Amino acid sequence: MKALIKVGYGCNDHCTFCHTLDVRHIDAPADEIDRKIDRARALGHTMVVLSGGEPTIRPELMRWAQRVASAGLDFGLVTNGRLLSYPAVVDELCRYRLRYVYLSLHGGTRTIHNRLVRADAFAESYGALANLTGRGLDLKVNCVVTLQNVDHLRGVVDAVLPYPDATLKFSMVEPKGGGAALYGALSPRVGDAAARVVEAIEYGLTRTDGRGPHFAHGGFPLCLMPGHEHRFADLKSDRFATMIEVGEPDYFPVDDDNKLQPDDACAGCALRGPCPGLYRGYHAAFGAGELAPRRSGLRANSYDYTFEAAVRPSVDATCPVLRIGVTPWDRGRHLFVANGSRIARFRADSRDFSDGEIAAIKHDHGQLYLDVADKDAPDDFARDLVKLERSPRCAPCPERPRCTGLYQLAGTEVFARDDAMVAAWIGALTGDVLDVGCGASDRYDAVLGPRVAAGVVRYHGLEPDPVRAAAARLARSWATIDAVALEDFATAARFDHVLALRSWNHFADGDTALTQLLALARPGATVTIVDNVAFGLARTPRQTARARASAAGFEHHRNDDSQVVVARAAARGLIVLDHHPIGPMTSNQWAVRLRAP
Amino acid sequence: MAALPSLPAELASADVAAGVVTLTVRDDVYPLDAVFAAAFTFIKDCWVVVDRGDASHWAIALTPKTAGASAAELEAWVGGFANELLACAYRQRLAKDNRATVEAVTNAALAGALGPPTLDELEDFDFSNEAFEDPLGIAQSWEDKYGKKAKAADPAPADATDDDGGAP
Repeated sequence: MKALIKVGYGCNDHCTFCHTLDVRHIDAPADEIDRKIDRARALGHTMVVLSGGEPTIRPELMRWAQRVASAGLDFGLVTNGRLLSYPAVVDELCRYRLRYVYLSLHGGTRTIHNRLVRADAFAESYGALANLTGRGLDLKVNCVVTLQNVDHLRGVVDAVLPYPDATLKFSMVEPKGGGAALYGALSPRVGDAAARVVEAIEYGLTRTDGRGPHFAHGGFPLCLMPGHEHRFADLKSDRFATMIEVGEPDYFPVDDDNKLQPDDACAGCALRGPCPGLYRGYHAAFGAGELAPRRSGLRANSYDYTFEAAVRPSVDATCPVLRIGVTPWDRGRHLFVANGSRIARFRADSRDFSDGEIAAIKHDHGQLYLDVADKDAPDDFARDLVKLERSPRCAPCPERPRCTGLYQLAGTEVFARDDAMVAAWIGALTGDVLDVGCGASDRYDAVLGPRVAAGVVRYHGLEPDPVRAAAARLARSWATIDAVALEDFATAARFDHVLALRSWNHFADGDTALTQLLALARPGATVTIVDNVAFGLARTPRQTARARASAAGFEHHRNDDSQVVVARAAARGLIVLDHHPIGPMTSNQWAVRLRAP
Repeated sequence: MAALPSLPAELASADVAAGVVTLTVRDDVYPLDAVFAAAFTFIKDCWVVVDRGDASHWAIALTPKTAGASAAELEAWVGGFANELLACAYRQRLAKDNRATVEAVTNAALAGALGPPTLDELEDFDFSNEAFEDPLGIAQSWEDKYGKKAKAADPAPADATDDDGGAP
């Protein structure tokens, strides 16, 4: 993982959209950077990347690179590249383990680039590319898209085409520093800019012969990048974990606090997990009217925390997280787990969920588990997963609101406990039962089978997947099972009890599904809806790699919790008979029983 | 020279009377280092000559040190050499692909084993800021170059947001 150090804000360019326009005169003392390099190593980072301002104009550049290499870390630069036009400088930096370069090139010609950086810099910045290519570097070329270059993006593509090991990224201009002061004059409308970026990328792809360069984008809502959603890149996707500004005492995790996903536009969008959303300043200036949220599509319902490092326990009673320092760890994406005297640190890199969603799953829902199974994906939660709970040591801690926290293995088998309640409900049913989405699990067969055999229950199952439906028919000789989706189930029959057990989030639209479930219920019947919320899994790197390589696909349209169902029921004036929400002390399974009108 | 029954004539041929068999391989498929490595494993039992076949081929002549080899024996020698050559080329490719990883792991292991530098070691470090040759004066701030005045001291930005959409 990378640490990003801002060495100062001075620069030999003067971009129109400069983020640090008001602080360009500030440079960090050299020994401050020395300390930060040492701290990066102590935090377990594997690469230090210097940024600014422009880090290459600092006379300490080589010494810092040497210090980084001496600490056993790789070295990287976020730079305008001008100094890297000297081959000898690049040679020297490569000796000091230069592995990553994020180079700014805002135009494919001297005229465009120089106009944006307000210096005669093109020949040097572009010349640096020729020096950097072919050295095995992670080489990124960043083009900030503004009103001034949005019509010339193909030119940047043409300029980068000779360098197949480069990745050309188009970044939406951010309202920050100079970019904020002149935002109206600098910022294209995001919808227009996204369309031009897509056009430029597709133009480039027709000319690369599949070899490269590669293409990426950042700062654009994914709904505006159809077909290129996977090309989204940002600091996190480049494996930056932390960053530190001049004068800050310690590192902070990189975050997306400068962006938002406005609920009025983005609620229910299938792309919400990985999408960066809009810059807050853009939203304030132009609103969210250009967004085109995707109302259909499948989402993940879990993500991985992968083991990063063992943490040395404290020799006294000091909390190990407090001892290391609170601020460098991402509240949502880092996870410290204590098991006796052993402490492990995990990290979640997933882009299937946004930072906010991951923080909520961890801290609000308390849905973290240790994967103790040797499987691609857990299929028997009670056996495969051990719940993690916040350590009681965190309760009185004043740092709790901003700390990632210390977790431990919970003693309660929450899945078995919570599912026993659902099994008890099902065991009390009588009459005509409709089970919608019945093929996913056989966990209640032992309850239902004898009741059908005794003539107390008449069971009718619906399963849209024909393979699962056939398997369910074989396993349940006592059941009537139709291979049909809820919306296609044409019948005049009505039922005493309608079940949707772990199928709610498989319905494309919850509101429509609830209407259909109620339509199949007799007056006064019960409608039982049980499902799971999303959860995080602490895993070894081998478990994570295996899961990622598996063929298992997403099945959920959403990750609704019970509050969503209760709210929909309240809007229809339905009586809620039982409501068991999830929380830090429960499994991730919620359950709601409604009375049909 | 005679063709060998189970190998294409353009790849291998034998002179049974002279006891020599020649293998011709493409130089873009088999790097010279791989040819040398394969040849090295045969020098105990054969006289081995590596030469240019033509502009794009290596020619490897094997003469078993035990005289009187039959055509079948010569074919076995050259077949064995071809397999060894393939293995050497593949090993070389793997080594090349993994070189960066091996270096990184080795460096990390050495750095971890060494621990933080001691005070004595720090004394030996070159902490000078002897930077780099900059004949074009690139490493000069825009304000210095164009004579603009710096502003009064302002606080540094305190946020730590992902800020790809701007200057570095």
